[in-house]
Amino acid sequence: MAPTTDMAAAAAAAIVPNDFSRVLAQRERRFAAALLAPAFLALLATTTFPLMFLVWTSAFRMDLAMPFANGFVGFENYQALLTDERFWSSLLLSLVYTASTVVLQVVIGLALALLVMDMKRGQGWFRLIAILPVVLSPAVVGMIWRTFMLAPEFGIVDFLAINAGIGSKNWLGDPLLAMVSVIAIHTWQWTPFAFMVLLASLAALPEDIYEAARLDRATAWQRFRRITLPLLRPAIVMVIIMRTMVALTAFAAIFTVTAGGPGTATEILNLYAYRKSFTELSIGYGSALAVALLIVTVIISGVLFALRRAK
Amino acid sequence: MKLHRPTRRTFLKTGTAAATLMGFGPALLRQAAAQEADLAPYKSAKIDWQQATGETITVAVIPASYFENLITLAPQFKTLTGIDVRFEKIPPAQIRQKSVIDLTSKTGTYATHAADPMYYALYAANKWVEPLDTYLKDPKLTDPAWFNFDDIIPAWRSADSVGGKLYGVPYDGEVTIQVYRKDLYDAKGLKPANTLEAYMANAAALNSPNDRVWGAALRGVAGAGQNMYIYPSIFREFGGEWLKGGKLTVNGPEAEAALAWYIDLMRKYAPTAAANWNWPDIADAFSQGTVASYIDAHSSASVVNNPEKSKVIGKVAYARWPKGPSGKRVTSIWNWGFPINSALPEKRKKATWLFIQWAASAETQARTAHRFAGPAKRSGVNRSSIWRDPEYVKLMNGFGDNFVEATMEALQSDTDVDWRPRVPQWPAIGDTMATAIQSALSGQATIKVALDDAQRRIEPMMRG
Repeated sequence: MAPTTDMAAAAAAAIVPNDFSRVLAQRERRFAAALLAPAFLALLATTTFPLMFLVWTSAFRMDLAMPFANGFVGFENYQALLTDERFWSSLLLSLVYTASTVVLQVVIGLALALLVMDMKRGQGWFRLIAILPVVLSPAVVGMIWRTFMLAPEFGIVDFLAINAGIGSKNWLGDPLLAMVSVIAIHTWQWTPFAFMVLLASLAALPEDIYEAARLDRATAWQRFRRITLPLLRPAIVMVIIMRTMVALTAFAAIFTVTAGGPGTATEILNLYAYRKSFTELSIGYGSALAVALLIVTVIISGVLFALRRAK
Repeated sequence: MKLHRPTRRTFLKTGTAAATLMGFGPALLRQAAAQEADLAPYKSAKIDWQQATGETITVAVIPASYFENLITLAPQFKTLTGIDVRFEKIPPAQIRQKSVIDLTSKTGTYATHAADPMYYALYAANKWVEPLDTYLKDPKLTDPAWFNFDDIIPAWRSADSVGGKLYGVPYDGEVTIQVYRKDLYDAKGLKPANTLEAYMANAAALNSPNDRVWGAALRGVAGAGQNMYIYPSIFREFGGEWLKGGKLTVNGPEAEAALAWYIDLMRKYAPTAAANWNWPDIADAFSQGTVASYIDAHSSASVVNNPEKSKVIGKVAYARWPKGPSGKRVTSIWNWGFPINSALPEKRKKATWLFIQWAASAETQARTAHRFAGPAKRSGVNRSSIWRDPEYVKLMNGFGDNFVEATMEALQSDTDVDWRPRVPQWPAIGDTMATAIQSALSGQATIKVALDDAQRRIEPMMRG
């Protein structure tokens, strides 16, 4: 018996140095996992679980007004959603809102950045003032525009419009103007963000390429098209992605300015989901709408990320 | 020489002391007021006020002077009953959602809350609140002779009942009436309108946007409690019926005529901005002299008579709703009532009932109204007896000619329990109708399309 034990001990001793590092590494991993666990669990509990619960809820009929009719309905909410005109029109509004605000932000932001780049003095001040709208809460921005700026007869924008000969307009009471107004408000608030990002990227572009281009007698437009734009592309795509995700899920500013009105003229998908869930108390269907918005957001950002990788 | 320089420690000490004093100062004053106040009128009730002593209840109310007055008196309630009341002020736009979320989760956060009468059908269908008849009839909990429940305005009591069962006790209420500038009316020899037609004609006669005076204004902003607070009266006056043959109907010729009248008035004779106005905006414009007349809650009289802001004090008079083509006048039935949350433990339910009984009693109503020490007097007391009290009537008539008469007549003869559809689905219906009215007003849809669309959306909501 004794030799076998000895042999086993010797074998064990031979294995140890080899194995030791593996055991150590394993322990390290476990320890790291233990350290990570609380944060991970917190993340699961606050993001993943509510998301799963939302998807789960969307498979139920949950009308607080008719508790007796509640129960599991599978995909019925989604079927109803496909034939719901108001869903499609709010989705369309969401897309229009997102596309127009993002395009405006990038175009105006880029134009401003190019202008400010050439400013010799006062650039710091300009940047400081430009950033102010971004730091305001969207709800506050909404209240200011609704009462100070856009109120007919009393607001600043209307005052300017009257003096410019356009005449007094019901900015938030006319379906088309209301949509234009909420797009303008969002653009006003968030263009400085695009401006700051693009300005920083512009400042980082290498000067020697421009010098070479000037020696080759490239015009300003050519320099912009052939050098600035391609070099800025990663920054522009990043701005587009970030702004798109925010615009798709915008809520507070529109909610305070028009609450989706007049009628349903500015009711983007997010507002419709909110209304269904918390005003009409039809939680199941509201959840289905929120899931639909989630799917749309995921698809659009997936496409944008693919575009970013494409070149 | 030694200068006294505040060290961090002394600074903290004095700071804390000052903060404590500031925090407890008002509380001490209130306590003093409570001891001073005479509790005898309450103690004459033949119940044991101390039966739930030691309980703490939370009451959700809106930030409004009529609740502020009640909060000021809360220490008296504490002395009387030994029950602590914590008030939470929630703006009217959020209080419905917050209380519904509390009621669904059954956590019993709010023992009672200022409830929208239109929500009782929803509450009752889910059994979220207690039927109150048992509390009213229990001699241990209520002294019927002292509480005198029948003295509470009947229209408000029925608004807070579902299927004949009481679910909330009215605390403060209002009715909609005509408010007009008698100086402008007199100058043109006009009389307050007796019919909707005449109301339109008056508005036309007074409308003069170039002088910054518009003929009339009604609530334009969308919301179950905004434009759907005014439109139902017009709908009923045009002969509309919400539950036609048992089926909820919001379209049809009467509805179209009613909506057409509303839109006509708003487009022709109201300021353009009124499309986004709620009652405070209307009352503000009226008190600046830019609107000649409006139909809204009688309680807005305190805004148009605010000496700090109003330019029209002494020029305001009141009248009942004009009659519609059906010959009816229909006013609103609004009151903030208190229900009891079913999720509470038994003893706390009793504590909550004692609070409700105290708040709705004639004594507390008087103490928060004409006998209140502060400047804000309530115009929505829940007791018929107080509305006949000469002291109160004198105070109320300070708001302008015919105020008490118009309000009382509206309360007695113009209220209509079917003013709005009282069904559990009301939140969804109210919102759908509000959107339809606004989309017709803004021209997003024609009247008929907007109403037919609303009907199409409401039908599936009613199916079980």
